[in-house]
Amino acid sequence: MVEDIPRIGVFICHCGLNIAGVIDVKEVAEYAKTLPDVVHTKDNRYTCADPGQDEIRKAIKEHKLNRVVVAACSPRMHEPTFRKTCAEADLNPYFFEMANIREFSSWCHPSTPKEATDKAKEIVRMAIAKARLLQPLKEIEVPVTNKALVVGGGIAGINTALDLAEMGFKVFLLEKTESIGGHMAQLDKTFPTLDCSICIEGPKMVDVGRHPNIEILSYAELVSVSGYVGNFKVKIKKKPRYIIADNCTGCGECKEVCPIEFPNEWDMNMGVRKAISVPFEQAVPLIYTINLDHCIECYKCVDACGARQAINFDQEPNEVELEVGAIVLATGFDIYLPYDNPLYGYGKYDNVITALEFERLILAAGPTGGKVIRASDGKKPHSIAFIQCVGSRDLKKYEYCSGFCCMYTLKNAILIKEKYKDEVEVYILYMDMRTPFKGYEEFYRRARNLGITFIRGRASHVIETPETKNLVIRAEDTTLSQPVELPVEMVVLCTAAIPKADAGNVARILNISRGMDGFFMESHPKLKPIDTPVDGVFVAGACQGPKDIPYSVSQGSGAAARAATILSKKKWKIEPIVAEVNTELCRNTKVKCGICAKRCPYGSIEAPENQPAEVITAMCHGCGTCVAECPADAIIQNHFTDEQISAQIKTALKDNPEGKILGILCNWCCYAGADLAGTSRFEYPPLIRPIRVMCSGRVDRDFVLEAFKLGAGMVLIGACHLPYDCHYISGNARMKARMDALAPMLQKLGLSPQRFRVEYVSAAEGLKFAELMKEMGIQLKELGPETIKRENAMLKPILEKMLAKKQRKSK
Amino acid sequence: MSESKPRQKEKVEPEREFTKATSTSSEEPLSDMTKDKTSERRGSETASIKAHEFDPHFKHEISNFHGGEKLKQCFQCGTCTSDCPIARFSDSYRPRSLIRMALLGLKDRVLSSDTLWLCAACFTCTDRCPQDVEVASVIRIFRNIAVKRGVIPQIFKELGSNILENGIAYKIPELRLKKREQTGLPPLPKRNPKALEKLAKETGFLKKLKGSG
Amino acid sequence: MDVNKDSNQKAWLLFLGCAVPYRVSSYEISTRKVLAELDIKLVEMPEYNCCGLPIDPIDHEMMLILAARNLTLAEEKGLNLVVLCPGCAGTLRKVNKKLKESKMLREKINSYLKETGREFKGTIEAKHLLQLLIEDVGLEKIRSAVKKPLFNLQVSEHMGCHVTRPTGAVDFDNPENPEALKKLIEVTGAKYVDYIDKSACCGAPIAGVNDKIPLQLTKEKLIHVKDAGAQALITVCPFCHMMFDTNQPRIERMFNETFKIPVLHYPQLLGLAMGFSSEELNLKGLRVDPTPIISQVSDRAEGK
Ligand code: SF4
Ligand code: SF4
Ligand code: SF4
Ligand code: SF4
Repeated sequence: MVEDIPRIGVFICHCGLNIAGVIDVKEVAEYAKTLPDVVHTKDNRYTCADPGQDEIRKAIKEHKLNRVVVAACSPRMHEPTFRKTCAEADLNPYFFEMANIREFSSWCHPSTPKEATDKAKEIVRMAIAKARLLQPLKEIEVPVTNKALVVGGGIAGINTALDLAEMGFKVFLLEKTESIGGHMAQLDKTFPTLDCSICIEGPKMVDVGRHPNIEILSYAELVSVSGYVGNFKVKIKKKPRYIIADNCTGCGECKEVCPIEFPNEWDMNMGVRKAISVPFEQAVPLIYTINLDHCIECYKCVDACGARQAINFDQEPNEVELEVGAIVLATGFDIYLPYDNPLYGYGKYDNVITALEFERLILAAGPTGGKVIRASDGKKPHSIAFIQCVGSRDLKKYEYCSGFCCMYTLKNAILIKEKYKDEVEVYILYMDMRTPFKGYEEFYRRARNLGITFIRGRASHVIETPETKNLVIRAEDTTLSQPVELPVEMVVLCTAAIPKADAGNVARILNISRGMDGFFMESHPKLKPIDTPVDGVFVAGACQGPKDIPYSVSQGSGAAARAATILSKKKWKIEPIVAEVNTELCRNTKVKCGICAKRCPYGSIEAPENQPAEVITAMCHGCGTCVAECPADAIIQNHFTDEQISAQIKTALKDNPEGKILGILCNWCCYAGADLAGTSRFEYPPLIRPIRVMCSGRVDRDFVLEAFKLGAGMVLIGACHLPYDCHYISGNARMKARMDALAPMLQKLGLSPQRFRVEYVSAAEGLKFAELMKEMGIQLKELGPETIKRENAMLKPILEKMLAKKQRKSK
Repeated sequence: MSESKPRQKEKVEPEREFTKATSTSSEEPLSDMTKDKTSERRGSETASIKAHEFDPHFKHEISNFHGGEKLKQCFQCGTCTSDCPIARFSDSYRPRSLIRMALLGLKDRVLSSDTLWLCAACFTCTDRCPQDVEVASVIRIFRNIAVKRGVIPQIFKELGSNILENGIAYKIPELRLKKREQTGLPPLPKRNPKALEKLAKETGFLKKLKGSG
Repeated sequence: MDVNKDSNQKAWLLFLGCAVPYRVSSYEISTRKVLAELDIKLVEMPEYNCCGLPIDPIDHEMMLILAARNLTLAEEKGLNLVVLCPGCAGTLRKVNKKLKESKMLREKINSYLKETGREFKGTIEAKHLLQLLIEDVGLEKIRSAVKKPLFNLQVSEHMGCHVTRPTGAVDFDNPENPEALKKLIEVTGAKYVDYIDKSACCGAPIAGVNDKIPLQLTKEKLIHVKDAGAQALITVCPFCHMMFDTNQPRIERMFNETFKIPVLHYPQLLGLAMGFSSEELNLKGLRVDPTPIISQVSDRAEGK
């Protein structure tokens, strides 16, 4: 735009003391004033708060601003907020740019305020440089399919499905096993009120089964998901039950005649079921299943079923395709079975069981009819010990606290005491008793009053006496500093809640990430606990981390509400940061090129022979891979153009380039990891000057060449982990191929290998990012500015030539 | 709290009568030097932990040694004590309590505790600690620091000087060396104590051995 | 020099340590017999010194230096070390690993070693006898060397802590569920019996500071071994052996118990199965009379 002479307003946020406590905000503001095209600067206590936003809106009018830069927190946090602010003042929201001086400076360099301030100034300078080149963009509107998919039929998924259905949306509820209900259906009573679990969950399950808006797809698995917010295409594979669902009335006459029994997994293998059966009475949908691994094909069931003709041994797996506008993951958790821990003897000693097995024992409808008995002799134990934190809070297994085991142990202990009184002594070996939330601490007192013995110490070892099959637990009573050898007749291991075995697979299918603990990761731990980084995909319940029932139910409803924000709209706006082909520059008109079409992870480019390539905008996810791959520089990515990024590089390296690390970090993983390093207040040396791109696939080799030409001490490209973490399927792999070719060449030209790094840091790896920064800092120091300058002098002419050649070619 | 009173620096007990090197096989009277002298000595004067006893820096000091890095991760679960073979038969030896005292900063108590020398270095605790604290190494660090203060049980002193004299930790009687050859074994390889002495001088080990008498 | 050249025997440098030549020569005698039969050539190690472990409590750095010095001797010869005492083996392995990994530590230790004209380079491995048998000789080869399988015998093991602990530093077998010695015992034809608290420590290292506790620990273990019905206990550590064998009569007197459980060094057990005589394996060097076992073995031999 010719008439568009930038008039930039810069707003610097104190964030209370979060920024101003370290960075001299006034100094940054003064500095910003001196930069080209800046016509207005202002610092505010909280720019994101109403008064702060108001100031921006006013300034846009008063000072005729046509660009706005806010220096504050991470754009991953508040970019959408301020874009809206601009729009409200009739400024195109894409004229907004953010400088992250909190996560990237004040929070990670608290003990070097001077350097932190200098770094903040340069980050602001980089943002202004980009702002000067910003272009107005128009948001892209896509239609919304107002149906939802809920994956997982536990208590969280049930609530999501019911709420969405009640709002009037069509819901597909996908369940991997034969029946919905999840872990809750396996439990006896629930804390802290001791209602019977299935009695309160059962009616909800029935509601789901009956709801006209809900379609249950049970005994089925997720195969693939494509598309984008509002427009997902989902493939689902239904496993054969060898029963025609529509014909099965759930009468169970077949079961009566079936001669084969096998251990019922749903009963923790403590009870048995028939080769044709349902896992439990209250199953929803009430459709029988034949287990062919056990069935002897005697066909007695076929006769019993008779005219209903519900049995079909020829059933095959079949695939279904759905179109939905939003997806909620509620896939739940697994219980850790400590076979791999020889110290507790699980799997070796008959009378050592897990808490979930105990639930099945004490449940009146369970395999023992509610009698707590020992596997070794079928007798009631006179003493039972619960061992807490088995696998949890253990750096050798699962680092985290599983959250609900303290409470369910109290519940189980109370149930025994109330049932058997003083016939059974109950011990709980614990490290910390965790009873927050409503009514929980009172529950703990109830347990103490019943005479349950609490021993504060972690059990280290369980030893069986071979003759009696009784057990001795070794622990320290830490309150007495006394090792104890506690003899009991039964041991219950309260084992960790762990990510579902297939969580990795589901994460891959949906392109979402998992935390260090293996659970699905939310967009923001506090403010977006239900969202994922993929628009239109939400999480609920224990798949995001261990949760008890009330928490899972609330999250289920929360996810329904979040999904409804999309489903309730006719159209959904998506960011216009997509790729565009400059048809004049495209080589495909003359030679057979089509590289962009080959490299686009979504196949959203078409490059017919003798015609310029074309991007199908609705399909483009905006990774920018094609832009970096195009040999003629004929593709641009809106809002992340070569010019904009070059301008950031140039300004970052204006002063003392040898002492700096230029970082180009992908939005979803490495930049998020760096944000987390800041949020966690991990301190590292203030050397990096970060440039955010959506995907590392966008990183052009020219960016690297340019940075070294300008004298950068080091260049870091930060990406998602290979092979599956990339949010654009394979952008990181494309980047890697590019850089694998570039690195040896640079080394041959005399660049020390430490100076050019490609690193993979996930959004959960704040610590890794901080360690990386420390390590690079040490290397930078070891190399010293002299070596770097010497190498640069040698490199410069060659790099200049390489970059010039490219420019000529594209002209 | 209290403006730092001069801490009782050398509150080191006079060398306790640790037995001489009773090898595991000799039939000498049992030595049990550690039998609760700790508590006798403390008696009423340490009924409570006094302000001057806290040295908040101690935990950091330990963390700076190889093997002490994870000390501060300890959450006092008691796994180390409960499966420690020594703790099971001792009235006073409690690895967790030593760790706890160190975390609290009770430097003098830790370093002058007789029980410090009871660890068998079996590493059961280290292998089982759920927080990766290298308990046995932490105890070794305590000992190394106590030695710097002049506390070395007799047995270790003897092993140390034997090594510097013979290259190995025991003095093997001539008779036994002869007997070796009678049983058809080759002669015991020669050692080079001179080289060791040189190294011991260099590192200050010699001084540590001699220093306390 | 290359010792491996002139024969198909593998050569290893034998690290004797302190306790074995001091008191436990039957371990050494039987080891030499058995390894020769398994084509392992043992090379003597002049100039060696204590592994360093006994003085670790006084001065960790000096321990590192003593261990490193031994490693440099092996590097000079270009041979890997085989070690009889698990304490020495653990120390040498741990220090070898640490020095290989950490440049800083290596430089520091080398700055001392330089004074005596040595330098740690990190070119060799150190292994305990058990590890050598499992990893380098292999169960198959051992099995084929067994001439007189000990089918009538029921034995237990006490492996000793340092063969496997601390896990990360030693990197051999699993201390919570050890298998190495079990497999090696089963190869001799003997029946392996498990017992309660098998991997617990015997307490030997603190003898001298406190004698009573080790004796109590050893007594407890002997009770479990006896209850499990083992006719003999197998060890691979000179210190453990002293606790269980040399001290057994004393424990019996002190606690008023009778055990009479012979305690054999593993190479003695293997030696018997390979057909060596009890003289060749120096069984008379044991404190607890092993005659019942020897007679079992010879009974069987006659039976054939
Ligand atoms: S909830 Fe309780 S038992 Fe479960 S891991 Fe946390 S502290 Fe341990
Ligand atoms: S490569 Fe990326 S930016 Fe280019 S068209 Fe494909 S999705 Fe869009
Ligand atoms: S086992 Fe580890 S965490 Fe537990 S008390 Fe001992 S040192 Fe602390
Ligand atoms: S290493 Fe020491 S403290 Fe740890 S278990 Fe063994 S004897 Fe106890």
